[in-house]
Amino acid sequence: MTITAHQPPISVLVIDDEPQIQRLLTITLEANGYQVATAGTGQEGVACAAQRRHDIIILDLGLPDLAGIDVLKQLRSWTQTPVVILTVQDEEADKIEALDTGADDYITKPFNAGELLARLRATLRRADKGRLEEPVFRTGDLAVDFASRRVTRNGLPVKLTATEYALLRLFIQHSGKVLTHRHILREVWGPEHELKTQYLRVYVTRLRDRLEPDPASPTLFLTEPGVGYRFVEA
Amino acid sequence: MSNPPAGRCILKSVALIPKERYELSMLAKAPEERGSLPVLDRKEPVSSPSVGADGKSAPSKICWGHYEVAFGVFVAVTLLNLWLQKWIGYQAIALVYLLAIVVLALFVGRGPILLGTALTAIGWNFVFAPPRFSFHVASFYDKMMSATYFVVALTIGQLTTRLRAQREAEMRSRLLAESERLGRTLLNSVSHELRTPIAAIIGAANGLRASGQLTEVQGKFAMEIEAAGARLNRLVQSLLSAARVQAGQLRPKLDWCDLSELIRIALRGGEALTPSHSIAVRIAPGLPLLKMDFVLMEHALANLVANAATHTPPGTPVEISACIEGAHWILEVADRGPGLPPEEVERIFDLFHRTPTAKPGGTGLGLAIVKGFVEAQGGQVTAANRSGGGAVFRIYMPVTDAPDLPDETL
Repeated sequence: MTITAHQPPISVLVIDDEPQIQRLLTITLEANGYQVATAGTGQEGVACAAQRRHDIIILDLGLPDLAGIDVLKQLRSWTQTPVVILTVQDEEADKIEALDTGADDYITKPFNAGELLARLRATLRRADKGRLEEPVFRTGDLAVDFASRRVTRNGLPVKLTATEYALLRLFIQHSGKVLTHRHILREVWGPEHELKTQYLRVYVTRLRDRLEPDPASPTLFLTEPGVGYRFVEA
Repeated sequence: MSNPPAGRCILKSVALIPKERYELSMLAKAPEERGSLPVLDRKEPVSSPSVGADGKSAPSKICWGHYEVAFGVFVAVTLLNLWLQKWIGYQAIALVYLLAIVVLALFVGRGPILLGTALTAIGWNFVFAPPRFSFHVASFYDKMMSATYFVVALTIGQLTTRLRAQREAEMRSRLLAESERLGRTLLNSVSHELRTPIAAIIGAANGLRASGQLTEVQGKFAMEIEAAGARLNRLVQSLLSAARVQAGQLRPKLDWCDLSELIRIALRGGEALTPSHSIAVRIAPGLPLLKMDFVLMEHALANLVANAATHTPPGTPVEISACIEGAHWILEVADRGPGLPPEEVERIFDLFHRTPTAKPGGTGLGLAIVKGFVEAQGGQVTAANRSGGGAVFRIYMPVTDAPDLPDETL
């Protein structure tokens, strides 16, 4: 357990109507040096978020009566504070809707402490980095020079088509974040193609073939079943 | 921050469902009845209301009582008219008959209305139109009147019954949609209520271990709690999946998928479950993208692999292969285990069915879920014994048109 001293603690707002999950999250997060505020209802959560700034918000989607989604919509109408959704299995449609509404990531219940903390750290890191873009992106043996549009592996150039490059660039811009199929298709191919998942399957396979150290077991371009893809830096 | 009331009570949602519509019959039925037993048993037929393309009711069984009603109404109105004719003319009497037909149409179907219309037309003609008590009609005016009466009464009667049928069909489909919505709400609350404490158990046990302050024995206990929680979670997951299948709550999202990706994802979580089995994957070269629901198919495949690993001795090779044969693509899980007793092949996909030779600990849910998930996507699943020993499970899915793909080259 590492508590980072000399820095103001990271404040987390937990919006969950289950006292048991609230307590569990509070104990886990406080033990790891986070400062935790809790809200039991969506309205209370929105009020808490407005009262003082939090570094990150954990929001339970709860029953798919869209209450969680409505809270997310309200939050997103005035704040860009990162929001991580708590959800359960089988609710891919809800995950997709939450991500498309502006959630930064999701955690599936039941979760373990390590997974939760890693997700929060990654989300915070992305928010911190903001939209600043390094001129050259590097991970593992892959390097992408955005100015010259040059992609290299181990210094050797990799040829990519314009679409492949656009897709790779989108993944890198949102490194670590789950991108829904629809989001990627709209960004790379345009809104009129946003349902053509087949494009995505073909092009992700192509990127994997060219850029993954082992295309048969990808470590960069990960599949989020039923939801989308996540680009993870090596 | 105030603690919220422990709201969202599962019982609240249960109370919303009319008792007669659903019954939790899982526990109520005798084991031999549990063949392909609905967990959420719908007493009502699930079929959509029988409404034809033009909004008319499909032919339902003839209700003779309504014919009697039509006849009774005819007799009563004729008697009334015999009394009324002292004050009104024989032509106005036709209007009284017409009124009776319109009112009748609010309550009975088209057949009885036809009967009523015919009877009243004849009755008016015979009893009231001069010359009376004869079918002969004297004036051209009365002939016109008689014919017009018949057409108008019939048309109004038919239109009224049709409108009524439409309204009833709308009511029925609204009711059906509502009961489906309630079913979903019930499943979701059950799911929520079961998974919340499981999440707390797993999270807390995991947190205990992660705290690093436990003795070795305490750590082992915490690990047992976590493992049991994970097992309970899988069981709840399976039960809910089976309930979703049985309640018709699956909404497959068919989309183009890459089978090799699907197989990789399905095996990802399975390594922990099948450490003692080696799994070989064989995919026909050049297999195109195929239409399926990624998540449902992944579960189905993972269940088949887990099934093979559970029912074969450690070290048994398990093979997964995919190919296209004619109008179907096939996903196959084959093992070299003891195979299936021939009499079991038929029943192996039934819910809660377990082969007599099965090891204790299973639930009889896995293969039923496979069947439900595959069929929801328009496919089929079969089980058979392999030549040379072992069992083979095949998922058959229809091959649709090829996907429209972008063409872009370097």
